[in-house]
Amino acid sequence: MKGEAEAGAGALGGGNVVVLLRWVLGGLFLFMGLSKAFHPVEFLKQVRAYDLLHDSLALNVVAAGLPWFEAFCGLLLVLGVAVRGTAIVAILMLVPFTLAVLQRAMGLHAAGGQPFCAIKFDCGCGAGEVLICWKLLENALLTGGAVLIAVWRRHRFGLWVG
Amino acid sequence: MTEAPKPLPDAARLHAGPALVREVLLVLIAGGLFALAANFLSPRGLSLRRDYFPSAVAIGSSNRVVTAAVSPSNTSSNAAPDPVVARLRSKGLQAVDVGQMEAWFRDPRYLQGLIVFVDARTDFLYQVGHIPGAHPFDHYHPGARLGEVMMVANGAELVALYCTGGDCEDSEFAALMLNQAGIPAERLFIYVGGITEWTERKLPVEVGMRGGVSKGGGP
Repeated sequence: MKGEAEAGAGALGGGNVVVLLRWVLGGLFLFMGLSKAFHPVEFLKQVRAYDLLHDSLALNVVAAGLPWFEAFCGLLLVLGVAVRGTAIVAILMLVPFTLAVLQRAMGLHAAGGQPFCAIKFDCGCGAGEVLICWKLLENALLTGGAVLIAVWRRHRFGLWVG
Repeated sequence: MTEAPKPLPDAARLHAGPALVREVLLVLIAGGLFALAANFLSPRGLSLRRDYFPSAVAIGSSNRVVTAAVSPSNTSSNAAPDPVVARLRSKGLQAVDVGQMEAWFRDPRYLQGLIVFVDARTDFLYQVGHIPGAHPFDHYHPGARLGEVMMVANGAELVALYCTGGDCEDSEFAALMLNQAGIPAERLFIYVGGITEWTERKLPVEVGMRGGVSKGGGP
């Protein structure tokens, strides 16, 4: 009986942590997405700077659509709609983006010779110029949070948690 | 006493996988449609079919390499080629320096509209300060400005474009857009130092819209 209560309390505590994590991740995605969506030309230039997309249509679709898509996912997480699915989509966005940032930072490190953690540039995240080591750590934590939200089965405080 | 949450029945677990996949697809599709609609409705939205970064001139491309006009103070026969000048040449554009720009600025033809300056930055930056008499032209949001600039450019002997300077390529893409609209490349020049160098040299600057408050001597 006592073990069940503790497990129950633990589950409730864990559930509250996941809700908080959902709101933090969702809020960040919403804020970052909108800050880029309201300045699409600047984001277009930042996407181009990665030199990964050379077709103008692909470049425009990513630059025009990704910020709004990110804000949409943030809103879903905040409101608690299709939470696990949205968390998985967030992971699908975070992982390749983090790899792209890492690749660009490694390129700058190889070209300039400066210490890796001293490299600073506007990664197109919506927060301006950032130290890349901090950005990589931040993204790793966000990805971990999204994984936790995705695997957690019993979400609460949502409109349609799925 | 609170009960521990009951584990999902086996049948529910079996259906959780496909249900989750459907949820992911639903988010992807709904999010994609939302993103496209939001971009379409946003006044600052991007045109998906437009090439915002053309690679080279299309009209009036000259096979003759036009060397950058340099002032005697920085002329060196052994100087390494400037990468910005090289980039402009690869696009079929011509570079000019501050000496040439100032000469054109003081030339009587500037006031007559036979020499035209175009500021390729955003309207906000243009209003913060621009070369007196320069026409604003944000090529990312050309709108009605394209028609205005084309009208003055068509009647000019030469058109000099500038932006911030340094790594800024906006003047080059604005020039390519004018070229695609019909201005021959031979008449288009890029001031590589940009407004940054112009203001560092304490040359005249105009604030606000065209014809606004000037700081320093006019043409």
